[in-house]
Amino acid sequence: MNDENIDPEKILSSGEILERLEAVCKRHFSNENDQNECYVFVLDSLKADNYKRLRAYQGRSKLNTYLYSLTNSLVIDFRRKRYGRRRIPASVAQLGKWAEAVYRLVCWQKFSFDDAYDFLRIDGLFEGPYDKFIKEIEPIRNAPCRENPTFQSLNDPGNRFIQNTNGTNFNPLESLVQKLDRKRRFNALEVIRETIKALSPEDQLLVRLVYGSEQPVSVAARVMGLSASAARRRLKGLLAKFREELLAKGIREP
Amino acid sequence: MGKWLTKTIEPKSSPQTEDHLSIEDLARLAEGSTEDTERQHFFDHLNHCQRCYDILQETLSDMSAQSAIHDPLPPWWKTKAAVFALAASIVLTFVIGGQMVYKNWMQPPSVILATLNLDQQLKDILLEDNALRWENAARIKRLVAILQQRGLSVKQLNGVVLSAPYFQKKSMFGPEEVLHVRIEGGVAYLEVTEK
Repeated sequence: MNDENIDPEKILSSGEILERLEAVCKRHFSNENDQNECYVFVLDSLKADNYKRLRAYQGRSKLNTYLYSLTNSLVIDFRRKRYGRRRIPASVAQLGKWAEAVYRLVCWQKFSFDDAYDFLRIDGLFEGPYDKFIKEIEPIRNAPCRENPTFQSLNDPGNRFIQNTNGTNFNPLESLVQKLDRKRRFNALEVIRETIKALSPEDQLLVRLVYGSEQPVSVAARVMGLSASAARRRLKGLLAKFREELLAKGIREP
Repeated sequence: MGKWLTKTIEPKSSPQTEDHLSIEDLARLAEGSTEDTERQHFFDHLNHCQRCYDILQETLSDMSAQSAIHDPLPPWWKTKAAVFALAASIVLTFVIGGQMVYKNWMQPPSVILATLNLDQQLKDILLEDNALRWENAARIKRLVAILQQRGLSVKQLNGVVLSAPYFQKKSMFGPEEVLHVRIEGGVAYLEVTEK
């Protein structure tokens, strides 16, 4: 299909397509109100400016895929519009960047304070021992957090963690990290991050898709323009590299 | 989805808005229909742009969910595994069965046992003379042909041994007789008994 064949009104009158758009919103939000408002927002945005976004379709991809990408882009906009740019309370901001990071991780992204400590150490935002960290986060504990059970953000891993829980993909890196104690976990995550930085852009994306977003290898392979078997071979080599780097730092499975 | 890996390796920064990949390019990436020449630029961008990466991976999830609805798991007998299993079964059947066929058809069994109704043709060949050990090659050859006609898988005999001379019963209503045949080591051992 090319742009001359696009009839936006016809597209948006198709029951099947509308169901797909609605399904995207349902996947992103657990709250029914959010789902409905998201769906209305997406439809309004698609109709805006005489269907400008739909008319931008040039027929270089399948229409359905284009609609999925477009809808997901609009869902991100909807999320921002609905929840706005979140602000860190002044009482936290005055403590410094490390405190802001803790607030973002714990209040917005629903990590525990313990997890936040590890991430801060990895990012080099907090150098002190754990006891000192626990003492210094006291003002953050008392800061207001408008987060509520239905609050979600695209940056919220708590939301994304629930995808792909069918157990079809084994994530050896995540599995290893989960088994380690705090000190070794901190070291392991640092090694993993540094190892990824040294990879080619292609390998970085492959690792992100398969071990970060837990997409099936065959799906990631399609994005990369590889066959599934070639992607599996490449991942095998990459895992060997991770293992080598982790062992070099004395990190092994307990 | 693993929180540690997701948090550790997610793209960190977001380029300026005008730098984002187009929606159609993200759709093409999800479909795997990008060109080699442009892919490198896309990969560089996706490793640094949270928004574009999120759109891509959410699109991939939607496509997977859609294909799961439209292409539900086929019945097991239509899966590749079933086809492979069937093919393997056929191969095994031929391998194992072939060996058995070879053994049975190409190599004569070491011992053949049979009990045949003593019809006139068999009586005639038994009555040709009283010798217990047959020496006449033509007679032996004719016996082989008769046995083959009755379904015995015998190709040739080196000798024939009769357990006792055969004499025709005088009574027309005498008891029916059978010929017990045992072929071993290329020699046929024959014995006539009443049925």
